[in-house]
Amino acid sequence: MTRRWPGWHRRGVLLGLLLMATATPLIAQDNAEADDPWGDEAWGEDPWAEEQTGWQWYGFIEGATATRIHDDPAVGDDYTLNEARLQLEAERALGDYTATIKGDVWIDGVEDGVRGDLREAALAGRLTDRIDINVGRQILTWGTGDLVFLNDLFPKDYVSFFSGRDDEYLKAPADALKLSWFGDVNVDVVWMPRAAPNRYITGERLSYFSVVEGRRVAAPPTIDPRERDSVGRDSEFALRVYQTIDGVEYAGYAYHGYDNQPSAVDPSTGEAYFPRLSSLGASLRRPILGGIGNLETAYYAGEDHGGKDPNLPNDQWRFLAGYENEPAPDFTLGWQYLLEWTRDHDALVNNLPASQRRYAPDEYRHLLTNRITWQLLRQDLTLSLFTFYSPSDADYYLRPRAIYRFSDQLTGTAGGNLFGGKDDWTFHTQLEDNSNVYLRLRYSF
Amino acid sequence: MKHLLTLTCLIVAGLAASTAAAQMTNPVQIVEEANIASYYAGEDGRSAARMLIVDGNDNRQRRQFTLLRKDVADGGDQRYLVVFSRPADIRGTVFRVEKHVGEADDRWLYLPALDLVKRIAAGDKRTSFVGSHFFYEDISGRGTEEDEHSLIDTTDEYYVIESTPKDPDQVEFARYRTWIDRETMLPMRTEYQRASGEVYRRMEVTEVETIDGYPTGTEARMEDLDSGGYTVTQFRFSEYDVGLPDRIFSERSLRNPPRDWLRRD
Repeated sequence: MTRRWPGWHRRGVLLGLLLMATATPLIAQDNAEADDPWGDEAWGEDPWAEEQTGWQWYGFIEGATATRIHDDPAVGDDYTLNEARLQLEAERALGDYTATIKGDVWIDGVEDGVRGDLREAALAGRLTDRIDINVGRQILTWGTGDLVFLNDLFPKDYVSFFSGRDDEYLKAPADALKLSWFGDVNVDVVWMPRAAPNRYITGERLSYFSVVEGRRVAAPPTIDPRERDSVGRDSEFALRVYQTIDGVEYAGYAYHGYDNQPSAVDPSTGEAYFPRLSSLGASLRRPILGGIGNLETAYYAGEDHGGKDPNLPNDQWRFLAGYENEPAPDFTLGWQYLLEWTRDHDALVNNLPASQRRYAPDEYRHLLTNRITWQLLRQDLTLSLFTFYSPSDADYYLRPRAIYRFSDQLTGTAGGNLFGGKDDWTFHTQLEDNSNVYLRLRYSF
Repeated sequence: MKHLLTLTCLIVAGLAASTAAAQMTNPVQIVEEANIASYYAGEDGRSAARMLIVDGNDNRQRRQFTLLRKDVADGGDQRYLVVFSRPADIRGTVFRVEKHVGEADDRWLYLPALDLVKRIAAGDKRTSFVGSHFFYEDISGRGTEEDEHSLIDTTDEYYVIESTPKDPDQVEFARYRTWIDRETMLPMRTEYQRASGEVYRRMEVTEVETIDGYPTGTEARMEDLDSGGYTVTQFRFSEYDVGLPDRIFSERSLRNPPRDWLRRD
């Protein structure tokens, strides 16, 4: 799939932007339909209109560029993102079922070449009056956090998230069978026949802190952990039990699978791998004080009982409390507090080589987040700022963003991913040299 | 209980029919009947809707959605499910509302690209509904108890009601006038005024059809007189008393919209 065409792909991005520029007159033309302002398609595209036959097609083309705001000595590239992307989605109703195929193809100016990603290829529908099924490649989400995940252990793509792509790319697809049962309580069961890890930082696009080298590094070498891709043997299971009673949403969660990050090291080979991870958790979400409040907790149990093995992550308790309200029209404010409590912390520190002790996570990691969203011009313009701040790590991550809808088809987004902090090795500070500002232009059809 | 409710509805409907011909003089009663006529026709309803949003510079946007509604009590709580089909970037978005009269609504939004069920703070109901010139409150109704109402004129065709907010800090208008059709009890025109008396926002129902026995506004226009922008909303394929079950107003329908009930007959 990936081929090197030096120089050409950068022009490819320009080509994408040009394509969009040429598409804009079409919109102007659309406006000129004075006789029938609704356009001739009228009500036709309403998917409920009648029994559909054949595939319905949707998609977008997007040009995106994100430039580092300072030089990264570990990565030679000035860009974290430079791409022209086509997403195509095909949907077809088959009785009570819907088949969806969604795929992206893009010319990548950072990883040099043409890339592809199949994001959805699934069949979803009603198995019985009480049971829904979704089988195939799909995006899965649950839990109450806002960009903070406790019981949602489905794959994330932090590389896309940090490098300037749209929020939708934070969720990576998983090959899964999801069965949902609806009754006095509702139950979701998800089986992923092979482990679905995160798209973690490998050093190819973004630099990170290496505890072995004691500094920020990038590829080569890339992080190349042992795969968990044996179908059946590397299965993961996720469960959610939930119900809403008088506007209060209660949920319980369980997970049995593998850590989504290659967080363990095999001491005999030095190879990274995805250790076993099981979790149990619960959440509650309800209206309170004129806004929405949420509480969530999860216990992560790994392979390292007693926490003595420095090559394995320790067990953790996580707690989240959040609140969001709208203090003024079209202006929302959200706050979250997250605690990550590493169990057996003394054992962890005592068993680390002396040179690495300073890099050990704090026993209590506190994280505060704030989201400000302000919609203007009748929602054509959305200004937002999402802030992560950890007082215990003394680091931060800012996500300012402006989205403007030029039309139903054309949307422009400008924003940044700004990292910083005191110590080079903390979660957000290690990404400091990847701080970027980005610009995206998307034409939807 | 259900029979009692049905009976009450019948009596209310009967009263409405008998009083429509006669002249009404109680403004609160007029406003309450207009509210029922506009937002509570039948026990439930289904309608396809589309919006043409035109700003002051003649830029046009569209929205298209199917709306399912079920009344918990006539003039009281309601359940809504709004499934968007256009434009491309919001296709598949589903909006679910548990409307509570006298207290904050429960609202959820489903974003398909992230498979995310987002709960939305009740917030201000006088903000744009999906980027249009209509407010949330124009779509689902403004609580009749939130304003003081007075009958300022009765013409051959209309009752003209002037309403002033009980809590002026919660709204952007100083007062509004509504022209309610004496025959159908539908509000045909509403004009929102500033304190100076200047009209800055106007809603007009431009098309009425009788569907399943209920007079229904099938086209409405909301104008922002400051900017010159406006939104036209059309309702088509409307049906009442379709027998929507309670269970479809649930999280299940966000991820997997209830096809059987969304499909037009």
